Amino acid sequence: MLKYDVVIVGAGGAGMMSALYASKDPNLSVAVLSKIFPTRSHTGAAQGGINAAMGYRDATDSIEKHFRDTVKGSDFLADQDAVEFFTTHMPELISELDYMGVPFSRDENGRVAQRPFGGASSPRTCYSADKTGHVILHALYEQCLKNKVNFHNDWYLLSLSVDKGKFQGLVAMDIRTGEIHAIQAKSVVIATGGFGRVYWSRTTNAINMTGDGTAACFDVGIPIKDPEFVQFHPTGLASTGVLLSEACRGEGGYLINKDGERFMARYAPEKMELGPRDLVSRSIETEIKEGRGFGDGMGSYVLMDLRHLGKEKIMERLPQVRELAMDFEGVDLITDPVPIRPSCHYMMGGIHVSDYKTCATPIEGIHAAGECCAVSIHGANRLGGNSVADVVLFGKYAGLGARDTAKKRSFTDAKKLQQDAENWVKKFKKMREKKTGINMFEIRDKMAETMWYNVGIFRTEKEMQKACDTIEVLLEQFKEAYIGDSSEKYNMAFINYVEIGNLLKLAKAVAMGAINRKESRGSHSRGDYPTRDDEKFLKHTLIHNEGKKYRLEYSPVTITKYQPEERKY
Amino acid sequence: MRKIHFKIKRFDGNKEWYQDYQLAYEKGKTILWALTSIREQFDPTLVFTSACRHAICGSCGVKVNGSSYLACKTSLDEVLDTFKTDYLTFEPMGSFEVIKDLAVAWEPKMEKMEKVKPWLIPSVEGDVEGGFIQSEEDFHHIASPTDCILCGICASECNQLAVNDGTYLDPFILNRAYRFAVDSRDGSPEEHIRPVIENELWKCMHCMQCATSCPKGIPLTEQVAFLRQESIRMGEVNNQGAKHAFAFVNDVRTKGRLNETMLPIKTDGLFKTATTKVPFALRMIKKGKINPFHMPKAVEGIKGVQEIYKYAEEVENR
Repeated sequence: MLKYDVVIVGAGGAGMMSALYASKDPNLSVAVLSKIFPTRSHTGAAQGGINAAMGYRDATDSIEKHFRDTVKGSDFLADQDAVEFFTTHMPELISELDYMGVPFSRDENGRVAQRPFGGASSPRTCYSADKTGHVILHALYEQCLKNKVNFHNDWYLLSLSVDKGKFQGLVAMDIRTGEIHAIQAKSVVIATGGFGRVYWSRTTNAINMTGDGTAACFDVGIPIKDPEFVQFHPTGLASTGVLLSEACRGEGGYLINKDGERFMARYAPEKMELGPRDLVSRSIETEIKEGRGFGDGMGSYVLMDLRHLGKEKIMERLPQVRELAMDFEGVDLITDPVPIRPSCHYMMGGIHVSDYKTCATPIEGIHAAGECCAVSIHGANRLGGNSVADVVLFGKYAGLGARDTAKKRSFTDAKKLQQDAENWVKKFKKMREKKTGINMFEIRDKMAETMWYNVGIFRTEKEMQKACDTIEVLLEQFKEAYIGDSSEKYNMAFINYVEIGNLLKLAKAVAMGAINRKESRGSHSRGDYPTRDDEKFLKHTLIHNEGKKYRLEYSPVTITKYQPEERKY
Repeated sequence: MRKIHFKIKRFDGNKEWYQDYQLAYEKGKTILWALTSIREQFDPTLVFTSACRHAICGSCGVKVNGSSYLACKTSLDEVLDTFKTDYLTFEPMGSFEVIKDLAVAWEPKMEKMEKVKPWLIPSVEGDVEGGFIQSEEDFHHIASPTDCILCGICASECNQLAVNDGTYLDPFILNRAYRFAVDSRDGSPEEHIRPVIENELWKCMHCMQCATSCPKGIPLTEQVAFLRQESIRMGEVNNQGAKHAFAFVNDVRTKGRLNETMLPIKTDGLFKTATTKVPFALRMIKKGKINPFHMPKAVEGIKGVQEIYKYAEEVENR
C-alpha cells in the first residue's frame, strides 16, 4: 500500500500551490495525483486576470474596496471574514507570483499592470495580456519541477475513505496500468476544479471538469455548499461552448433570431445587445424556447452578426474573437454571422470548507481549495478576476493547513481503505466484462439537456421539478450503464463512466439547492420568485448525501461589516 | 452523402494496428470533433487526450497524414483541402513515447527539460515580498515565449529530433531556456544557456518546421539563433558548430562567398576532415559538385558586403 503524509488531488493552480506549500516541510512526504498532465489543468483557461488591491494603477484602491466589491458582487452571500482574509493577503501573493517568474504585463513604471473589470470599483485586475491563468499555471509547474514535487500523472481519484469520522486515505487508479491503489494519508487537499460539465456541451469548461473531488467528499459525508449558484456567460460558441468575449457586443454586434429580428428590442429596447449578462442570456434562451432559434435541442442557437462593423473594424478591434470563431466554429465574422448560445462558466458552490484559514472541511484530514469547494468568498456570484486569485491564495493556505494537519495526525488503521479499494477493483472488473446496457454518453447528454432547460439560466418550480425527476430516472439508468471497453490499461471509457456518475450526483444537488431556494439572488434567477429575500434566504445551502436521499439544511452567512443592501451598478 | 474516411493508428501497449472509421462530412468541424465523434458513436476504446478544446491546454497534438496539428484548433476542412483527399490517417505525435493509441507520455520530456533549469533564478533586484520592477519592453521579450502551451507539435515536427540519439533538446525546451535567459528578472541566464550548449545546440538544421507548425506562432528558430549568439558571447567558440559559423562569416567577409572546399577543414580541422570526409568529397568531385582546385576570388561587390558587416557590427554593439 502506498503511504504519504499529504496527498494533493488535482494539479491546477490550487493543487500545485498546495503542493509547493505542503512540501516546504522536508520531513513530510507529499504526492500530487492528477488525472491529466499538470499544465493541461483548467486554471490555464483563465484569461482576464487576477484581482489584488496593489494600488498601482489607482492609488485610491484598497484592500477594503476589494473586500466591499467582492461582498456586493456575491449578492451578500459570501462569508465576510473569509473575504477580508482573501483580499488582505492577495497583494503579497501577486509579489510572490512575480518572484516565481509569472510574466505579468507591466505599467509604465515597471510595476505589475492592472486593468478595470466588471464589478470592481477600481482597476485592480493584474494580468498577463489575455493569458493570465496560463502563465500562472506554467510558473507554478516550473516551481514544482524546481522543488521536485512528486507528481503522479494520469492518476484518477476514485474515492476517499473515512471510517467513524476519521480520514484514512484514498483510492485512486493509475490510468496507464489500470491498477487500483489504496493510498494511506494523514491529510489530503482536494483541488479538482469545478463541475460545469453537468451542462455538458453548454459550458465554457474543459471536458474533464467533472467534479470528481467534490463528489468524493460528498460521498463521505461532507456537505456541498450553495450548489445552485452557477454563473452563465451569454455568448458561448454554439457547437462547443467556447467563450466569445463580451467585446463583440461592446463593439456593436447584433443578436439575430430565425426571423431575422434583433430580438433584444423585445427585452431591452434601450440598451439592446448591451444589456447586462444575465438579461441577455435569458433573452437568448427565451427566443430559443419560443421557437425563434436555429437548430434543434441542445444544438439550438441564435446568431451574432458583426458584418455591419466592416472588415477594418473587425480586424482592428476583434482579431482574437475572429480567430476563435474561425477556428472553433468555422465562421469568418467578416462574411458570416456566428452561431452562439449562453454557456455555463463557473460553479460558485462546492465542498463545504468550514475553516477558511486552513481550508479544512468538517472531516479532520480533508482540506479543499479552488473551484471544487465553497469557502465561501464568491457567494451567489463571482466577480471576474477573483477565481484565479481564489485558486492560488486558498491553494497556499490549504497546503499549509494540510501540512499542519499531517503533523498533528498519525496514520490510522486502513481497514476501510483496503475494503474500498477492493470494491473498486471488483467494480472495474465488472464494468469491463459487461457486454450490454445503456450507452453512458446518452445518459450524460440527457442529464445536460434537462439541466440546461430546467435548471439553467432562468428557473421555475415546475421545470426544476421536471429536472429532479429526470435525474432520478437517469441515476437508475446509470446502474445499467455499459462502457464498451474491456481493456485494463488506459481504459478511458471507465474513467468517463465514473465521471458521469459524479456529474449525476452533483447535478441532483444543484437542482435540489435551486428548487428550494425560493428567491432570486446573484446568478440564481427564478421566474416565480424574482426578488431577493434576505429574511428567508440570507443563508448557505448545505446538502448532505445520505445514500439515495439527500438532506437539505441551511447555515448562517458570516456578516462582519456590510449589511445587505440592494445590488445596483 | 460525402464520407470522410479515417485510418487511426492504434496501440494497446503490445501490438499496433490501423483501424478504419467513417463519418459523414459536416462543414466547419475540427479534427477534435472527428476524434470525439468516432469515440462516442463507434468506438469507446479509442484513446486520445484533450481538455480545454480552445488551444490553451496543449493536450491534443496529433499527426494527420504525416503532419502534426493541434486537434481542437485545426478545422477538418483545412486538412481536407491541404491534402486534397477525403482519406485521413491519424497517428500519435513523433518523437514521443506512445502510451496507448494517440496518447503520449510527457514525463521523459520534462526530465529532459529540467536540464535547462526551467524556472526563474531570481536576480538580487527583487524579493519575495515586493516582487520585481520590470520595464514594459523587458516584459515584451518574454511575452511570446511564454505563449508556449507544451503541446509538443514542434518536437513532433523537428527533423533533428527524428534522427538524433535523444541528446538534442526539443524546440519547446530551447524555448524555455530562452524564455528565462532573456527575462530581466533572472539573475543567471548562463545557467539556462550552458546546458543548451552542452546538448547539441548547433544541431538545429534550420528546416523551420517547428516555427511554422507552432500553433502559438512562437518564433522558435529565432530563439535558436539567439542562443547560439549568446553561446559565442559566453566564449563557447571551440566547437564544431561555432567553427562552422565562423568559417561562413569569415569567408563571406573576405570574399563575399563561401569556399566550400575549405569549409569542412575550418569546421572539423584537417585531421578529422581527412579521416571522415574524404570519400564523401571524392563523390562530390566525381559528380561535379565541387572543384577542389577552384579558389574563389572575391565577388565584384565585396566592398558593399564589407559595409554590411560593418553596419551589422555597429547595430550589434549598440
